[in-house]
Amino acid sequence: MRHDFLDRYSRQDTPTHRASAEAKLTCGLAVVALTVAAPLDALPYFVALASALVAVALAARIPLNYLGVRLLWMEPFVLGVGVLTLLQPQGWKVFLGIVVKSTLSLVTMAVLANTTPFAEILRVLRRIRLPALLVTTLALMYRYLFVLVDEAERMQRARVARTFDRRRLYSWKMLATVLGQLFVRSTERAERIYSAMLARGWK
Amino acid sequence: MTAAIEICNLSYRYPDGREALRNISFTIDEGECVGLIGPNGAGKSTLLLHLNGILPEKPNGAVRVFGQTELAMMRRDVGLLFQDPDDQLFCPTVYEDVAFGPQQLGLPEEPATQALAQAGLVGFEKRSPHHLSHGEKRRVCLAGVLACQPRVLALDEPTSGLDPRGRREFKALLHKIRATKLITTHDLDFVAEFCSRVLVLDQGELAADGPAEEILSDMSLMLAHGLERPHTLQHRHPH
Amino acid sequence: MHIPDGFLDLPTALATGAMASAGVGVALWQAKRTLPARRVPLLGVTAAFVFAAQMLNFPVAAGTSGHLVGGVLAAALLGPSAAVIVMTCVLVLQCFLFQDGGASALGANIFNMAIVGGAGGYAIYASTRRFAGGLRGVVFGAAFAGWCSTVLAAVCCAGELALSGRVAWRVVFPAMAGVHMLIGLGEGIITALIVVAVARARPELVDVRAEITRPGQVLALGLIAALGLALFVSPFACEWPDGLEKVAAKLGFEHFVSEKPMMPSPLPEYGLPGVKGAWVTPLVGMAGTLMAFALAFVLARVLTPKKEI
Repeated sequence: MRHDFLDRYSRQDTPTHRASAEAKLTCGLAVVALTVAAPLDALPYFVALASALVAVALAARIPLNYLGVRLLWMEPFVLGVGVLTLLQPQGWKVFLGIVVKSTLSLVTMAVLANTTPFAEILRVLRRIRLPALLVTTLALMYRYLFVLVDEAERMQRARVARTFDRRRLYSWKMLATVLGQLFVRSTERAERIYSAMLARGWK
Repeated sequence: MTAAIEICNLSYRYPDGREALRNISFTIDEGECVGLIGPNGAGKSTLLLHLNGILPEKPNGAVRVFGQTELAMMRRDVGLLFQDPDDQLFCPTVYEDVAFGPQQLGLPEEPATQALAQAGLVGFEKRSPHHLSHGEKRRVCLAGVLACQPRVLALDEPTSGLDPRGRREFKALLHKIRATKLITTHDLDFVAEFCSRVLVLDQGELAADGPAEEILSDMSLMLAHGLERPHTLQHRHPH
Repeated sequence: MHIPDGFLDLPTALATGAMASAGVGVALWQAKRTLPARRVPLLGVTAAFVFAAQMLNFPVAAGTSGHLVGGVLAAALLGPSAAVIVMTCVLVLQCFLFQDGGASALGANIFNMAIVGGAGGYAIYASTRRFAGGLRGVVFGAAFAGWCSTVLAAVCCAGELALSGRVAWRVVFPAMAGVHMLIGLGEGIITALIVVAVARARPELVDVRAEITRPGQVLALGLIAALGLALFVSPFACEWPDGLEKVAAKLGFEHFVSEKPMMPSPLPEYGLPGVKGAWVTPLVGMAGTLMAFALAFVLARVLTPKKEI
């Protein structure tokens, strides 16, 4: 699996990328808060925000169709739950509001994620004194995510190469066994990481 | 003069009862470069881990680094390079990882920057570990260890998984580092080139301890312990 | 079940944010007291594991696939407070990097999936596993708790959506609860399968101690739990929406209430078509719960053919 599937464009070099992580994070979260709180008939705001997002995305060299793909993540919830709003009288207004707000917020977060490497976000979190255990867990999770996904893929491939049973239940069992082994290996790796941290003086 | 590393009657059992090391004794003087060889499962990595005191059970026997047994001092003086760089490279960026040691030890930032330069990694500071190649990760780990300015380097299979160029670059790096070295490896040519002395470990016991050339050329000894004569020593033509 | 931005209004977002912070705070405090330093890296690695596990497709039918959420899995493997921390970190990363779940909804998502799903799921797991000792009990508990945590999280989600005035409670509750009673089966089965795989490889990782509760106690506890659920659900089935409007009016949200009336929808009352009455909802809920309980027990018997201690 590509190791940049999460934040593919966060490592480019544009003025937006070079801006401070605190500023981008604060800005992004403030925009989301504003968008969520805005009344449904604040049309000028939504239009202005949409244009601003497109402008920033272009300046930061984030392809617009990539942002479009990211929007698909929301689709099950919007279709499943959002549609229920239509069952009320005047429900279409609520539905439209939901669609507009969720789309704009998601694009904001996507632009944020693709202009700010996660390591910098971690640094900001550390600076605002988020509890150390949370930050350490986030940092280690991000670091070992790709290692584990690779390991899982390798084990899956090795199993599939020796399996000829196409039944669904069997594939669930196989997946679960792969994940079980992955967890066992992960605990062993966690022990080795602890040793490595101790060896360099961690207290 | 105190020896750099002093191991006296070291025995160790894993939590599940398996015997890993049996009554091991040897001394390494400052400045020596010693190779630790043996078949898989001999206990080489376990022995190295004792130099930093990071195993779950307490061992029997003594491990002294420059005469010290206090763990904090041992970890400061012995820089341990782990077999799998992914285990040792745990910070989000290269620079943060190399600076981890100095930070924990209360040192300033310069050693980290110097170590990066020493390892040929200038410009890698903001890179994420998961984007690096195996050889690059190895070098970052080495930089992270060097940043703590250790007096002894304990390297666990430093060239495993490296392509020929990676091996050459790593060897060139090691040549330039002034420290007592204890290197575990399967690469016997590497040992022949680098090490003046060799320890042979088999099933937790020290089977041989002597000058590198003498031990490595002893075919029956090598074969008896699951090893072989290195290629560089196999055909000796008088030039 | 990750709620995007825009589905919750600001007051609900803030309230759930506060509840989530409190829950995570408790978990952190608990972890500080009980978690040995040796296990700290394990949290990070387990979070990576849960993230990776969530990415795997468990094929269901005709191109659809199920995915693991993992709250109960994390809790069975690491304990409740560690599970809350792990799931919180997974949700934070998914929000920031995957845009799966909105930033304003982060509090709600953490509350639903990490606290209710993780810690709440653990409580159900810990009590249920006593009904059959050893590994079988563990599997049984994991399966049932996996199902329960999914449904409970969905109910909370429905509540949050209704409180935000986006959808009527009468509509969203049966929809969310109903769908997740099915989805929860997947979560329960997958959780159980993974726990068995881990326990077989390294039993010490899954705390398999044979503690069996007597059958009489089992029945009593089960009935009490079902009754509790029924009592919990029945006011929601009829009075709560009206009660909610009264509360909303008192708090000054009258204009809000009039714009989005929580009037009965064209959908039939939750339950069997043609049957009316407020008692139907809790009855269906109870029946579903008992059925899931039984299925979980059957699964445990299938996966652990003879009593493995």
